[in-house]
Amino acid sequence: MPAGKRVAVMSPQTRHAHSRRRLRGRFRVPKLDPADEGRALTLYHAQRRRAAAPLVLMFAGMFGLPLVFAVFPGLDHARLAGIPLSWIVIVLLPYPGLVILARWHLRRAERIEDDQ
Amino acid sequence: MIFAFAVAPVVLITLLIGLRGVAAMRTTSDFLVASRRVSPLLNSAAVSGEYLSAASFLGVAGLVVKDGIGSLWYPVGFTAGYIAMLVLVAAPMRRSGALTVPDFAEARLASPALRRVAAVVILVIGGLYLVPQFRTAGLVLSAVSGTEYWVGVVIAGAGVAITLALGGMRAATYVQAFQFVLKVVLFIVPAVWLLVVVGPAVRDEAVHPVTFTHFDHDTPVNFRVGVTLDVAEPTTVLTDGQPLTLAPGPWQVGAGTAVTFLDGTRVPVVRGQPLPGGPGWQRPLLDLQHAGYPLLGTWALLVSLMLGTMGLPHVLMRFHTSPDGRAARRTAALTVGLLSLFYLFPAVYGVLGRVLVPHLYLSGATDTAVVALPAQVDSGMPGSLFTGLLTAGAFAAFLATSLGLVLVVSGAISYDLLPGGLGALRVAVFGAATTVVLLALMAIRLDAGVLVTWGFTVAASTFCPLLVLGIWWSRLTVAGAMSGVLAGLLGSAGAIAATLFGPPLHGWLAILIAQPAPWTVPLAFLTMIAVSLRGRPPAWAQAAMLRLHLNEDRPVARRVDFGRDPGHSTRSSRRSSAVRRMTGRLVR
Repeated sequence: MPAGKRVAVMSPQTRHAHSRRRLRGRFRVPKLDPADEGRALTLYHAQRRRAAAPLVLMFAGMFGLPLVFAVFPGLDHARLAGIPLSWIVIVLLPYPGLVILARWHLRRAERIEDDQ
Repeated sequence: MIFAFAVAPVVLITLLIGLRGVAAMRTTSDFLVASRRVSPLLNSAAVSGEYLSAASFLGVAGLVVKDGIGSLWYPVGFTAGYIAMLVLVAAPMRRSGALTVPDFAEARLASPALRRVAAVVILVIGGLYLVPQFRTAGLVLSAVSGTEYWVGVVIAGAGVAITLALGGMRAATYVQAFQFVLKVVLFIVPAVWLLVVVGPAVRDEAVHPVTFTHFDHDTPVNFRVGVTLDVAEPTTVLTDGQPLTLAPGPWQVGAGTAVTFLDGTRVPVVRGQPLPGGPGWQRPLLDLQHAGYPLLGTWALLVSLMLGTMGLPHVLMRFHTSPDGRAARRTAALTVGLLSLFYLFPAVYGVLGRVLVPHLYLSGATDTAVVALPAQVDSGMPGSLFTGLLTAGAFAAFLATSLGLVLVVSGAISYDLLPGGLGALRVAVFGAATTVVLLALMAIRLDAGVLVTWGFTVAASTFCPLLVLGIWWSRLTVAGAMSGVLAGLLGSAGAIAATLFGPPLHGWLAILIAQPAPWTVPLAFLTMIAVSLRGRPPAWAQAAMLRLHLNEDRPVARRVDFGRDPGHSTRSSRRSSAVRRMTGRLVR
């Protein structure tokens, strides 16, 4: 064991606090391995391309349904099993749609990574 | 009595699971390593548990009673936000290794100044989100047990601060997942019971809304805050047991007055608030501020909720317990499903509440509609039992969200804004809890759903552009990010302040000030892009962005990795991170 090097003995809590203060503000320049960089670039472009469709679908659905309600006020008076049709639509339509959208995009996003 | 019966078990079981979880954690070398084994399903239950706040449990049904069916867009937006989270943020954010947005700002752009600005934004969002939680706890306790409003708020604040100081966030994933199951059961079972017990007459009334113009039985109303009512015709009421005849015209009701409205008398109108069940009530569109533009109001709300979810600090923190980016993405997708299950039911409480407890509209206490319902249906044992169950669920909702938020807010204060010492975090927890209690005492008039939505609006106008551009655009510069976040923060916070303290506005302007997301979000994005294009990003910006998209779950032999498991994201163990440091401290 090399002599001369002195090490302060302290509780883990103190060590934690000290190291935190020293680490603060020091920034390491991010680097990517060249092989990783190529793969990351491919993944980035593939994910970006596939991100557009679910977002457009979500915004179209979310903005479209209120528009439908505004244009067809008759939906409030039409009734299904005694309940106004528009009430049924606002509770029962968006959620399954969102679940299907989430599932669909999850599959696509994971397939991109599986192929890489 | 209700307190001991309903609230105490929730707090006790939460603490027990927390302690049990700690015992399990201690067998591993590191709390964070253990938490990285959390499966996507368990983690999404934890995310949902943290996300379903008092605004979801009580606020949505309360807003339905007050404003109408259009309020059901709130839960739709709350859920849709996770699609944006899934597509844009979940996996790259996890891969950045950053727990909070200040961490992300430092990891992606290397700017301590931006870190501090992001911490200030967290304080604003945390405040807007926490105040309604505490307020609702006060309202619910005063509604079910008859205590003063401030008692409930102080109990809530003390409970949160003590739980956190004792290390209540230990094993947080298990606690939150348990809370989710608890909340779903305590919400769905009473809803089904109510639907069965109310009988066909009430069910029929519920789907044929009529304006609440006359009391159909002697109705006691407790006014916790003063309010001005417009009386249309001479009306006799009982105040503190004494009959009092009101002349037509405005009637100032003092705070703390107990008034009994008699059967068959006409309902007075609250200034600026149409009666529940009126013509616009059954429309599935949200007429914000009663400005007369329901379509614009609904769209403005949805923009805020869909884009704000990805910037909520307590939700982002939870994604970090996933092992890798892929699991974080799965967590976001599963969360959509779990929330969808819960949000099928606020409508039941809302439409039944309009029939059975419309008088809550008078005292501005519609947020207590959910817990007030069982007693209206059944005055015996089952009614008390279900009131207790719903109170317990509401308290679980309040507790889960508040614990996560107080921790994030105190972390932002003690590590990002001030030079953090060892005791700073605990002091910050008590400081944050005290501040929120004081704010909540003043905010009794403001609905939970509205305040929480403002939290989403600020998140959508600041963190949403920062995260989206930081993850998907390598040309983002520090100056651009900083000016964009500041523009969004000033725009949204200024509009909220104008709504709270400014003169009343009318028409579409009122909507764009009360719900400023439609212009503050584009403003923040455009400022960020325009200022960034005028500067030059550093040479490493491309690499800093690309590494967020690298799937780390495929171990690559040549990757330079200094003795850390490849399942974890790049360099996160060396990145400074407020919440990891905090949880590390609390666990020890």
